[in-house]
Amino acid sequence: MIVSPICEMLGIKYPIFQGGMAWIADGKLAAAVSNGGGLGIISAMNADADYLKGQIDIARSLTDKPFGVNIMLMSPYADEVAEIVAREKVPVVTTGAGIPAKYMPRWAEAGVKVIPVVASVAMAKKMERCGAVAVIAEGMESGGHIGELTTMAIVPQVRDAVSIPVIAAGGIADGRGVAASLMLGACGVQLGTRFLVAEECSVHQNYKEMVLKAGDISTAVTGLRFGGNTCRSIKNAFTRNFQKEEYSPDATAESVALLGVGALRKAAVEGDKQDGCFLAGQIAGLVSKEQPAAEIIEEIFKEAEALLKGAASWVK
Amino acid sequence: MVFEKICGIIAEKINCDASTLSEDTKFADLGIDSLDVTELVMNIEDEFGIELEVDSSLQSVGDLVKLVESKLD
Repeated sequence: MIVSPICEMLGIKYPIFQGGMAWIADGKLAAAVSNGGGLGIISAMNADADYLKGQIDIARSLTDKPFGVNIMLMSPYADEVAEIVAREKVPVVTTGAGIPAKYMPRWAEAGVKVIPVVASVAMAKKMERCGAVAVIAEGMESGGHIGELTTMAIVPQVRDAVSIPVIAAGGIADGRGVAASLMLGACGVQLGTRFLVAEECSVHQNYKEMVLKAGDISTAVTGLRFGGNTCRSIKNAFTRNFQKEEYSPDATAESVALLGVGALRKAAVEGDKQDGCFLAGQIAGLVSKEQPAAEIIEEIFKEAEALLKGAASWVK
Repeated sequence: MVFEKICGIIAEKINCDASTLSEDTKFADLGIDSLDVTELVMNIEDEFGIELEVDSSLQSVGDLVKLVESKLD
C-alpha cells in the first residue's frame, strides 16, 4: 500500500489524480476515478457555469468520494465557473494556463483546496504564496497545453523550492512512472492519457483508437513559434497543417491563434481523425488497452509497490 | 527609483545592459515569455516586499513599473 501526505489531505486512497482534459474529463469519468480511489477531475474547459454545474451533479450522483474541477484560466467563463466551484463547495480545484490569485480568497472561504498546475519553479513559489495547498508540476511530455521543462527536471526543482506537496505530471502512465515520481520528490501523480482510454470515458471511440495505436514518437507540438498556446497532440493532418501555417513567412500570432479553433471538439466529439486535435502525451505509446478506471489505478499501484519494494536491490 | 530597480532585476536575469531598457521595452522583444515574467515578479516581490498579480496584461517594462508603483502607494 502506497500512502502519501496527499492521500490524507484530500481523503483519497491512492495518490493519483486524473488530468482535467478539456472535452474529455466529464462528471462520469471523474466519478469513476474517484470511486477507484484516486481523485477524479471534471474539466470546466471553455464551457459556462451551467455546463459545469451539470457535470458536478452527474459526478455527485455517481460517487460520494471527493473529486475536483479543473479550470482553464484563459476560458472566457473562468469567473463564473470559479464561482460555481465555490458555491458547490467542490473539494479540490486544479487550474491551468495562468495564476488564479484573484479567485483564491473566495475558494479559501468556501473550503475549496487549490492545487494549480505549474510549469516552473517561480510559478510554484507564487502559487504557494497565494495559498495553494499543493502544486502539480507538469513536464512537457504531457498532452495539451505544455511548458518547456521535462518532468525529470521540473519535479525535483519544484520540490526543493516549495514546502507544500508536489504532484508529478507528464509522461506517467504506469507503476514505473509512479515509482520514479516518488523518487523525484513528488508525493502523488496526475495522469491524463491513460485515463482517456478508461471504459468510463465518453470521448469518441476514434480518439481512444488514436491513443491506443500511438507509439513513442506519435505526438507533435504546435504553437511553439509564437508561444502562448503551445500544445502536444497526436500527429495527423491537423498538426501537419498547423505547423506548415505556423512556420510560413506570413504567419502572425493572431493568424496562428485561429488555427486551433474548434479542433478539440472535432477530435473528442466528432472523432475526426484528419482535422481534429487529439491532445495526448508522449507516453501514449505505453497505453495499449481500454480498462475500467479502478482497474487502471489498482494495476499502476500494484506495480509501483513491487518496484519500490525491490528498489533496495540496487544498493550494495 | 522603482524603474531603476526593476531594470536592474531584468538585466540581471537576462544578462543585458540595464541602460538599454526603457518603459516602452516590450517583454516579447527581450525574449521574455510568460514563465519568465512570473520569475521576474517573484524576484520583484522579494525585493520590494509586496505581492503582485501576474496576468497577461504585463507586456512591457512600463507595465511592471506601474503595477509595482500602484502597490507601493
